[in-house]
Amino acid sequence: MTTVLLGPQRFRQTAGVVATSLAPDGPVATVTAGWRDRESDDAELHEVMGARTTNLHLFMRLGHVIRHDSTFARAAAAFNRSVEEANSLYRIRLQHATDSLYATLRQSVREDLVDSSLRAGLQSVRDIDAWYLWLLSELEGELWADGGVDSSDVVAAHRGDVDEIVGAASLLAIAGGHVSFLVRCLRLFAVAPAPELPVMGWSAGAMALTDLIVLYHDNGPEGVRPAEVWDRGIGRAPGIVAMPHARRRLQLDDPVRNQVLAHRFAPAQILLLDDGTQVPLGADGGLPDKARIVTLTGKVSTVRESTRGAA
Amino acid sequence: MRKLAINRLLDRPLDQERIDRFIARYGSPIVEDTRATFLWVGDADEVLVRHRVQGLPDPLRMRRVPHTDLWYVSIDMPPESRVEYQFEIVRGEVREEFVNDPLNPRLAHGPFGTSSVCAATGYEVPEWTLPDPEARSGELVEDELQSKALRRKVRFKVYLPARFVPLVRHPLLIVHDGEDYLNYASMKTVLDNLIHRGEIDDLIVAFVPPGNRLVEYANHAPHARFIARELVPYLTAKQPLLDTPSGRTLMGSSFGGIASLTTAVRYPTVFGSLILQSASLVFTDIAFDHGGGAVFDPVVKFVNAYRAKPRRVTDRIYQSCGMYEPLITPNRSMATVFREADMEVLYREHRDGHNWENWRDRLREALTWLHPGDQRFVYE
Repeated sequence: MTTVLLGPQRFRQTAGVVATSLAPDGPVATVTAGWRDRESDDAELHEVMGARTTNLHLFMRLGHVIRHDSTFARAAAAFNRSVEEANSLYRIRLQHATDSLYATLRQSVREDLVDSSLRAGLQSVRDIDAWYLWLLSELEGELWADGGVDSSDVVAAHRGDVDEIVGAASLLAIAGGHVSFLVRCLRLFAVAPAPELPVMGWSAGAMALTDLIVLYHDNGPEGVRPAEVWDRGIGRAPGIVAMPHARRRLQLDDPVRNQVLAHRFAPAQILLLDDGTQVPLGADGGLPDKARIVTLTGKVSTVRESTRGAA
Repeated sequence: MRKLAINRLLDRPLDQERIDRFIARYGSPIVEDTRATFLWVGDADEVLVRHRVQGLPDPLRMRRVPHTDLWYVSIDMPPESRVEYQFEIVRGEVREEFVNDPLNPRLAHGPFGTSSVCAATGYEVPEWTLPDPEARSGELVEDELQSKALRRKVRFKVYLPARFVPLVRHPLLIVHDGEDYLNYASMKTVLDNLIHRGEIDDLIVAFVPPGNRLVEYANHAPHARFIARELVPYLTAKQPLLDTPSGRTLMGSSFGGIASLTTAVRYPTVFGSLILQSASLVFTDIAFDHGGGAVFDPVVKFVNAYRAKPRRVTDRIYQSCGMYEPLITPNRSMATVFREADMEVLYREHRDGHNWENWRDRLREALTWLHPGDQRFVYE
């Protein structure tokens, strides 16, 4: 199984070279659903990929389904509302749990007591993450049932088209953008690349390929907030939390925060994807030695160095 | 600290040429570290700076440099402060009021005209309040509604975001003093920019001007009924809006803040969030001598009653006030009252006064907190 995760492509384009190395010939199926209403503005991508792309147009297909399947449209609107409400509850719980975790770390008391408190606090945060993911899968179950996703002729027709394009492709390339629209389009249209089909994804595309999507923006207008679990990915690259734009969006100079981040999602590895980064996964799905990660000790390091340190 | 420029000028004998060179070089006000020096040139018996800054003498008398037409006064100006001011010129029995500083090109605009602006070290007009050619422009649509509650036709403007998609449900923001927020707080530009950058949600915004403002905004039942029972249902039927309290925010400044709060108190299940900017939350702890005049009577009665029995009327309140406003003390006090009534409150103070640019500068913080956009989802 060949999978490559890439960093952002805006300033250092590596996608074309990687595509050629993964699949020198044959059609490339592309996903630009994360670009939303600009999904079709893919002429530059088409050129970069060697003028052999077929865009799956998943966002456009989503719009078509909403317009032509009123049952799905109603269920999707209800789903969106419920997810927003669930997310607002999750964010409140998460903020309080992380605030209390950091507050206990600042106490001048016996170190072993602080360690114990840290472990318990981390477990609380993990429990909240797990609760939110469970809530999300329940809501998605409602959407699938109430919206008749698996029985909809409209959805089925699109899934057939998509399956045909992906089936004929030599490579599947997933661009970045809005990770939520992207992953939900991938799921709705059942994009499940066969193990033998090479797959590459950059930025949000890389996040969507993992099995856990985590949002973060330490430099956003809301100020520093805890990273938040948003959704599951399609699971092609399990055991990885992909973090594109790491330098721009994460305050990586704070070892305590880094440590909390790494422990919170362990055993998954926090993979940092900056401009120009290329991370080909091993045959077993593992990260290569050169991949930059956040270690359990709170450092930013390569996989090789962190393994050496652990040994 | 280096001597102030005005003192360096006064250290040596003065002639008109030196004064002219000084004025040409520095203009007015001269901001140096944590001090600001106001200058005025001309013949007068008295020159006063009017600024409405709580904590400084108002009016502030300027000193005349002997045997010249140069007047000056220096005051503390903490970093990041922003102060609006005007001059009063007295010549004999004639008092000329509301005179902008002729040596200062920087002006703030408001419903009562312009004022000069003194921006301290560290204050900069936020770049997100200025037109960004890359930001797609939303649309302002004229609308009107015949209000039974107010017994008049209410004309207002509705902002539709550039990415307006009828299939998608949008949050609603209703703005008191809507025209003023558009004209003096650059609110359309701010919305265009913040939406373009994904910092706030694709809001639909109703900019509603008042009728008789001092009556309608001062805890007036017909106004609250108009907003909650006429305008919200009308907009919800007409626009693709999120039909839940969390999808609705009501905002206003000064008396508009009171109008927002009193509406939420009368209709506590309608709005999930409030934005109260320098709200006129005047109250008394004993007797009723509030000093605000008759127009404040219904406001003080309302705030006193609310303080006696605080209750949850919305989920979240973004509350801000300028540190230099007389309203700073009541606002500080009420933030605690709101929190104790089990509402989530983000309370912010800034070194500014009771004016539209202060309220403009707070919009990003308020809107990104209450209606965060897609930015956290976008990884290009």
